[in-house]
Order: sequence, then C-alpha cells, then structure tokens
Amino acid sequence: MNKDKIFKLAKGFRGRAKNCIRIARERVEKALQYSYRDRRNKKRDMRSLWIERINAGTRLHGVNYGNFMHGLMKENIQLNRKVLSELAMHEPYSFKALVNVSRTAFPGNNAVPKKEGLSSIL
Amino acid sequence: MATTIPTSAFIATPLRCSTGRSSAIWVQKAQFSASSSSLGVSLSLKRPSLRLVSVRCETNGAGMPVIPAEERWMYEESEINGPDIWNKTWYPKAADHVNTEKTWYIVDASDKILGRMASTIANYIRGKNLATYTPSVDMGAYVIVINAEKVAVSGQKRSQKLYRRHSGRPGGMKIETFDQLQKRIPERIVEHAVRGMLPKGRLGRTLFTHLKVYKGSEHPHQAQKPIPLPIRDKRIQFVKK
Repeated sequence: MNKDKIFKLAKGFRGRAKNCIRIARERVEKALQYSYRDRRNKKRDMRSLWIERINAGTRLHGVNYGNFMHGLMKENIQLNRKVLSELAMHEPYSFKALVNVSRTAFPGNNAVPKKEGLSSIL
Repeated sequence: MATTIPTSAFIATPLRCSTGRSSAIWVQKAQFSASSSSLGVSLSLKRPSLRLVSVRCETNGAGMPVIPAEERWMYEESEINGPDIWNKTWYPKAADHVNTEKTWYIVDASDKILGRMASTIANYIRGKNLATYTPSVDMGAYVIVINAEKVAVSGQKRSQKLYRRHSGRPGGMKIETFDQLQKRIPERIVEHAVRGMLPKGRLGRTLFTHLKVYKGSEHPHQAQKPIPLPIRDKRIQFVKK
C-alpha cells in the first residue's frame, strides 16, 4: 500500500530511484524534506529577487536600493517589494515618479551641500 | 486659439501580454501632438488622431475579447481578464531573451584598471543592470572588448601577478606573470578576469561566450552596431604617477 504512494512521488527521479523501492523510499523521503525546507526558502528567495530587481531599476535613475527604500520609509509609502519590482518592470514612468519621491525625501550620499551666503553666488 | 487635446486619452493601460512587453510600453507612451496646437486655428477634433486600440468595441482593456457575463463561469480568471501581473512575480518567456535582439556593448580597454572594468562587464553580461533581471535566465547583453593588450593594473601587479594553470599531470603546474601572459596571449587576461566574476555553472559558461575580446582596435561585429558601455566607476581610469 505504501509502495504505490512512494512510486507515485518518485516520478521523474533518476535511475533506479524511480523503480526500486529501497532506493526510491530514501530519495522520496529526502525529496519531502527538501520540499518542506524550500517552502520556507522560497519566500526568502523571492524577496531577494524582488530586491535585486528594484536595485537594478533604481540604479537606472541614479539611486541605489538602500537610499531608495530609506526615502520611501520616510514618506511612509508602504508598497511592498513585490509590487515595487513589478512596477519597475511594467510601469517605468510610475516607478520613476516613485524614485523622485524618494530622492526628495532622502537625497542619499549625493546631496549637494547647500552653499550659504557669498559662496552660493560664486 | 489652439485646442488642447486631453492627454489622458492617450495614456493607455500597458499590455498584459509578456511578448514584446517592453516595446509595448514605450509605444503606448503619451504622444502629444504639438502640430495641431501650432496651427493657431481652432479645430474641433472629436476623436484623438492616433488610435491606440484598433477595434475598441470588441475588446476589453487587456486586449482580450469580451466574454458576456452569462458565459464567464466557463473560463478561467486568466482568460477573462488577462494574465495576473501583480500577484505573480514575472518570469521571462522565451521571446523575452532572444539572443538576436540583445544589445551589444563595446569597451575600449586601453588604460583601464583590469578588475574594475571586468566587474562592470560581468554585470552587463549577467543582466544585473536591467529591472527584468532573472538569475536563472540569460537576460544580459553582449560585450566586446578592444585593445585588450593595453589594459592596466596598479602597483607592482604587472610583474608580480601570477597566472597559474595545471595540465593535470604531477608536476604540471605552469606559472606566468602578468606581463609574460600579456606578451603571449593578451586576450586571456581580460577573459580570465571576467570569467572569475561570472557565475560558475552551465549558465555561467554560456554567459562567458557572450564576451568577445580582441587584441587591436578592430572587431568583426560592426553589423551588431555596438554602443559604448556606460561605466560609472570613477576610479577605472589608470593614472600614471
């Protein structure tokens, strides 16, 4: 009774792991362990992929990811990284507006120091 | 008196289909027809002069045929309203990374610091500068490097940096310094640097084939119309002291 379930889960495995019960049982157990672990890892991987995409999108406008998120937090914009990455890919103009909002809220390290008095005229 | 055409009429929703996605967005950019305003004559335009959707009555906003309410139970969500782009992270389809439509970049390596140049090259080859970056798919561009024999390194690396290789047999390690290798095979220096910065694996090996290094200033890829690689590193230019 259990053998059929094991072989059903072992479809697509390499070599004897899909045909011979002793090997298939081991591999299926391992596969189930991996899938348990990876259901949690998938959430981490997705978030890091969104962050990489947002980073690339903002660097096109001269702002890096850290400064961009800091600016958004300052303005209390609560868009999550998933939506931000989709905006960066599918809605470039809206994303540029967001980058400008973030840049005004937090100019980052490229802030030109304001010259006061006589030096502002020079 | 010039007429002002409401610009909201031109801002169409982007196509949900992924094929040719990026081109679709740019095509549907709001187009301001300045020509009519320069006439100085009041024209009554009932419709915008540019029609962005061909037959409006038969399609909904996503460009799909309208399904009447009684038949909606027969179809899936993606067939009624188009694919869901906001709740599913985008993954590129085959049409999004066709090799023949990728950009080609060109870098002149003369007097550029080797590692800094290789780093930007590797970024562009991998596609990390694009918002559509996907780690499992080759979304990057092609890069041509010319004048590879003129690449520069700082400090004493020219005589002290060692390039090692091993033939596999005992006692088969061959060691060369930077300038010896530059005299022998100058392209290998840039290739070695970039290969170390690309991912190692099947995808990394195909990415490496997108790097083309040449000794002189001639390259056979004029037909690809390469554009100069935008380099933002300020310390990449070798300064002789």
